[in-house]
Amino acid sequence: MGYAAARGGLAAIRAAESLVQQLREQATTTTPADIQLIEHFGALVDRVMGEGGVWGPEMAAAALRQGGGDPIEAAHLIRSKRSTLAVIAVARADADEIQVLRRIVPAYRTPPGAQILGATSDYAGRILDMSPPSTPADRHVTNPAQQTAVVENGDRTPQRLLSVLRDLDLVVDRRRDDDPEPFDITQVAARPPAPRSARLSAMARAETGALVNVWYRNILGPDGYLHEITLGEVRHGHIPVRIDHPHTGRPITVCRVRVTEVEAIEDLDGIDEDRTRVDVGYGFCLGHNEKKAIAMANLDIACHRDNGRTQLEQSLLLTTDGLESTGFLEHLKLPHYVTFRSIIERKMAARRRA
Amino acid sequence: MSTVRDLVATRRDNAVMDAGAVRAIRRAILTAIAVPGYQVPFGSREMPVARGWGSGGLQVTMALVGSADVVKVIDQGDDEGVNAVNLRRLILRASGATETDDVSESTIVQTRHRIPEAGMVDGQILVLQVPEPEPLRGVERDTRELERMHAEADYAKMWVSLYEDRVRNGMITRTTGYPCVVAGRYVISTTPIPRWDVPALHRAPYLALFGAGRAKRIYAIPPDTTVEPMTFEDVPFEVEFTPGARCRHCGSDDSYLVSTPREEGGETWACSDTSWCRARRHQRGAQ
Amino acid sequence: MTNITPVAPTLAVVGLGHAYGGIDDTTIAETGPAAGTSKHARTGTVVAAWDVSFDVAGGEALGVIGESGSGKSTVMKSIAGDIMPTTGRVTLQRGDGTTAVITEMSPAEIRALRVNDLSIVHQNPADGLDLRITAGGNIADRLTAAGWRNFAAIRERAAELLTRTEVPLDRMDDPVGSFSGGMRQRVQLAKALANTPSVVLLDEPTTGLDASIAAGVLDLIRGLLDEFGLAAVVVSHDFSVIEMLTQRCVVMQHGRVVEHGLTDQLLEDPAHPYSQRLVGAARA
Repeated sequence: MGYAAARGGLAAIRAAESLVQQLREQATTTTPADIQLIEHFGALVDRVMGEGGVWGPEMAAAALRQGGGDPIEAAHLIRSKRSTLAVIAVARADADEIQVLRRIVPAYRTPPGAQILGATSDYAGRILDMSPPSTPADRHVTNPAQQTAVVENGDRTPQRLLSVLRDLDLVVDRRRDDDPEPFDITQVAARPPAPRSARLSAMARAETGALVNVWYRNILGPDGYLHEITLGEVRHGHIPVRIDHPHTGRPITVCRVRVTEVEAIEDLDGIDEDRTRVDVGYGFCLGHNEKKAIAMANLDIACHRDNGRTQLEQSLLLTTDGLESTGFLEHLKLPHYVTFRSIIERKMAARRRA
Repeated sequence: MSTVRDLVATRRDNAVMDAGAVRAIRRAILTAIAVPGYQVPFGSREMPVARGWGSGGLQVTMALVGSADVVKVIDQGDDEGVNAVNLRRLILRASGATETDDVSESTIVQTRHRIPEAGMVDGQILVLQVPEPEPLRGVERDTRELERMHAEADYAKMWVSLYEDRVRNGMITRTTGYPCVVAGRYVISTTPIPRWDVPALHRAPYLALFGAGRAKRIYAIPPDTTVEPMTFEDVPFEVEFTPGARCRHCGSDDSYLVSTPREEGGETWACSDTSWCRARRHQRGAQ
Repeated sequence: MTNITPVAPTLAVVGLGHAYGGIDDTTIAETGPAAGTSKHARTGTVVAAWDVSFDVAGGEALGVIGESGSGKSTVMKSIAGDIMPTTGRVTLQRGDGTTAVITEMSPAEIRALRVNDLSIVHQNPADGLDLRITAGGNIADRLTAAGWRNFAAIRERAAELLTRTEVPLDRMDDPVGSFSGGMRQRVQLAKALANTPSVVLLDEPTTGLDASIAAGVLDLIRGLLDEFGLAAVVVSHDFSVIEMLTQRCVVMQHGRVVEHGLTDQLLEDPAHPYSQRLVGAARA
């Protein structure tokens, strides 16, 4: 009996799948539409796009629906969709072209450009609101034009704090002239030691909680390789994405995507480091996800300073991907009776030998 | 569809990978065959199954399979295991290949944790799903150091761990995924197949491909390659053995058996390779 | 009539120098004992060791003595292949008669050399041993690296080495982490001798041990050096260790050799004021 139950069989698997279907069919309300998820669960949709490594709010919304709201499952669905798509061009984006919706510079009270809080509940009290969901008709209608105006009061491409610090010769210059192509982690396996672009790509796609945890345990936990940075720049905004036209070869803008960008300023204090300057870590990810971008920027500079001394780079490259960690964890649910028999056999053999 | 020449032949698109990925994986497979036992890094694609659920084996199979192929998929030796059923559906749907549970009819056998009891022959391909390809993981965690150890064939740490095991336990207590030296050079993890299956890999007439999707590695044992379990000259390599155990269905004691605990106490045994067990029952019935 | 053929020294260090930072004639001229520092004031370059030369023959032990910052560790690391010196050449005659030019070897070649031909006994046993594994296992590490594959033969060889280094055989299968400091040092010696190297480097081998324990370990080392006929370099800040173990020695200060000679003569009649100070400290 137990043996038969351990065998799935096509019929059993189909029955399990139809139960999921049935549960969905028993739902008494309408399935949420893409637009509902995008409008009301923007943080979740953005997180799925970031971890999935694909820009496509509708795709992310559909994946969330199919995955029952599990963001890692949703990221898996869009990544495996991506695997079926041919690579037809390599897109480029210039971070200096971000049109900001929000921009804050904690390092200065009055930075060049302006502090633009944008849409944020960072400063709101966390007080649970149990009032029933509203409909468009209930809502106090703000004029969308008015809202844009708030942003347009400031410069939408404010000067970077980094450029100011560079003018003051306060930043270690690590810019290089050779402009190598970024490492594509979707095409080539990245292993330590890897180029910086591989680490940044891995972090941009990392599971948000995992990345935050690596950051936190390195700040306050037993690993302790990190220094807390000062944020020089936190931006959320739209960035144009360009490809070269296949026939004319001229760059054309194919879309605008929303991104979060962070520049983190590191106070250098190592024996071999330039004590008269600061250095900078960089974070960048799809959608609005400041937690990830801040952790990434701090880990970027930490990894550079670490320079292979510890296994921080290995942790970042090989343990922060949500699909990899959860897939490996969940594979423990698969039958393991062949391996388990082998384990028990050695126990019994050791007893016989004793 | 089975020779190295066939591997480099055609461009293929399918419903789980684009043609570019298929080409990249075939290149990785060719490299793996050229350097037996070396873990070839590859740009592992996300598959419609989770990491750790055969995403590496699936990529290898999907890079090889065509509509003319006959595919057998097993999990724990069982064609009806949940993982096998799931992967078989994906492979058939995406490739148009036909399925079989008969090893002798198959061109490709994809497997999790077992090698079929019925011997495979020259021209067939065995694809093994690998959850963790690194045989030295237990003795070293740093990937840079692991790469160095393989590059220099520096396996002293593994030998020391076998020495320590023998000293402390009076025997080598390693269970599945037993470390083996391939073609006298690289040490591999034999996935987690039981020790029982390890001798079958030695000078096997068929090509064995190991796909690790999460770890992004492919490695190979080409036909007629030596595969030697790491053990001391004077400490014999031991396969699983339970005195008196016999399959309750076919009566075999010469196959890999798995246990079924009985509610009233004790246990009974059955072949893990279900199609082999069935064939043997027919054979016995016919006599 | 005796045929006298010149024998190549087992270990030869020729014109060894290592600096952190840029060097030119002035950085060399303006550092060292005369300048009172190894750090060049104007450029910040640290001339950790410069113009160091010596030979060691099989069966001979040479001491390198100096305080911390004298450059003795830099010399040691250059011989061990842990650092690639800025200039100079270190050669070693292997047991099979071939010559290894350590200063030209790749990291992989150095590792192979350190399995078979060159052993190091570290001040801290944890640097030379894996404390989680048994005494026998630590020796097995060396033996298996050199190709030993017979369990009984490995056991026998490990037991023989541990007996020779006075580790009780009933501790052979205990993790080294459970051993006392002196006992760990004996296991380290056994491991160092496992593949009968031609050169052994002893880096402050008894620093950190109680005086009574240290005396026993020094006795043991001296016996081993006599018996195995290997070329040894003993690095220490302590003249009593150098006196006990070596026939010749060099005195280093601020990255340079300030004096060299026969150990007992140097102890009897040190010429350089720095040597006099060190000898005075040892006699105190």
